[in-house]
Amino acid sequence: MTTTVAAPPAVSVRGLHKQYGPLEVLRSVDLDVAAGETVCVIGRSGSGKSTLLKCLNLLEPPTSGEIRIGGTQITGMAVDAVRARVGMVFQHFNLFPHMSVVKNVTVALRHVRRLGKGEAEAAAMTQLQRFGLAGLAQQRPDRLSGGQQQRVAIARALAMEPEVMLFDEATSALDPELVKDVLDVMRTLAASGMTMLAVTHEIAFAREVADRVVFMDEGRIAEAGPARSTLDDPKTARLRDFLARVL
Amino acid sequence: MDDFLHTFFDPDEILGVLPALLTEGLRNTLLIAVLAIVSGVVGGVVLAMLLLSRHRLVRLPARLYVDVFRGLPAIVTVSLVGVGLPAAGLRPFGREPLGYAVLAIALISAAYSAEIFRSGIQAVPSGQLHAARSLGMPYLTAMRVVVVPQGIRNVLPALAGQFIIDVKESALVYLLGLGFGQRELYFIAQERQAATYNSSALVAAGLCYLLVTIPLTYAVNWLDKRMRDGRPAAVPAKAVV
Repeated sequence: MTTTVAAPPAVSVRGLHKQYGPLEVLRSVDLDVAAGETVCVIGRSGSGKSTLLKCLNLLEPPTSGEIRIGGTQITGMAVDAVRARVGMVFQHFNLFPHMSVVKNVTVALRHVRRLGKGEAEAAAMTQLQRFGLAGLAQQRPDRLSGGQQQRVAIARALAMEPEVMLFDEATSALDPELVKDVLDVMRTLAASGMTMLAVTHEIAFAREVADRVVFMDEGRIAEAGPARSTLDDPKTARLRDFLARVL
Repeated sequence: MDDFLHTFFDPDEILGVLPALLTEGLRNTLLIAVLAIVSGVVGGVVLAMLLLSRHRLVRLPARLYVDVFRGLPAIVTVSLVGVGLPAAGLRPFGREPLGYAVLAIALISAAYSAEIFRSGIQAVPSGQLHAARSLGMPYLTAMRVVVVPQGIRNVLPALAGQFIIDVKESALVYLLGLGFGQRELYFIAQERQAATYNSSALVAAGLCYLLVTIPLTYAVNWLDKRMRDGRPAAVPAKAVV
């Protein structure tokens, strides 16, 4: 994707460290994501990719290093202000089971963005319609398939109009036949110019949709580059080995 | 056998005491119980949040409170509050013993409810809080809107048990001495028993307690089931993939 020279990257990470006691999960990660770019993060479990994502909305506070979202340094900022700008989608959807689908989408609009009821519902329905979920607006989440639930979770995050969307293994908990549903939504979203950072095990999806892939290994970015060439022709033995295992 | 029936089920005794039980007694029992239950629930939710705090200085006083009021016999707490406070010159309720009884039972109920709510809130998956926080909700908003309502749903049956205990403990107000018009179920029945050496009035009072506690259980169970099923959906559920 092209970016204006002057615009700061949507996400900029410098020297990010994350440590749990003696365990170093992230060791000096540097990463830029341009506005409108889709970056897929791949790697073994325990390589630090989910932690990296959680640091970006301060769900995990970084031990040290710098994170900028849209040019603004977020470490040390009020966490709620950061999170309203960064949408996140989780592996297990985490819809609120005691609320209808539409209420799941409106609750943050009302309590965080302070929209009125009508305005919030209109915004929610716009998002739900976009993903073919309008007919399910009054249902409870447990009546929905996993694929529908994850699409609602994506709509819920998008309704907050975030600058960046983070996907933390958004399809890992889905039955194989439902994965496509959610990947289609992510594909549409990427095409619409949303800035996306997705931790995923779907290598084929990364190859097709991502502008770039980032391969993490032992808390570091071991290899990164344009999606297609990096995945088709890995430079490092580690990535070659990883791809041989998962493909 | 006649003696037995006469002692416990004397119709004249029962019919004689019933008007006082149903008008004065039931009203005051319900008054104490409802106020204690409501304050106990509110206090219990607040204490549960404090018990779950990350900060030791917040957790410890709440812990101490819960341990003390769960650990004392109810009769001791009622006496300390209802007799002790006024004797020490603290008379928030003047000479109204029902007020002190409500306070004492609410203090106990809050301690028990706090542990019930804490376990219910802890049973809510952590992903719920993460999702709410990642949408930009401040911690207290996320707890109030997302986590606590689910936690309460988890513990409704356990809470019904606590409500029943609150109803029954309202009888302890008899320790504080009640004037005419202030008497609750047990006090009325017990006065009668002392005067006549016949226990039928107590049996009648017992039936009045059951009249409250048994429907209470069913009401909470009904609420529990309704919340579990979710409200009937406006649109019939479609089995779409």
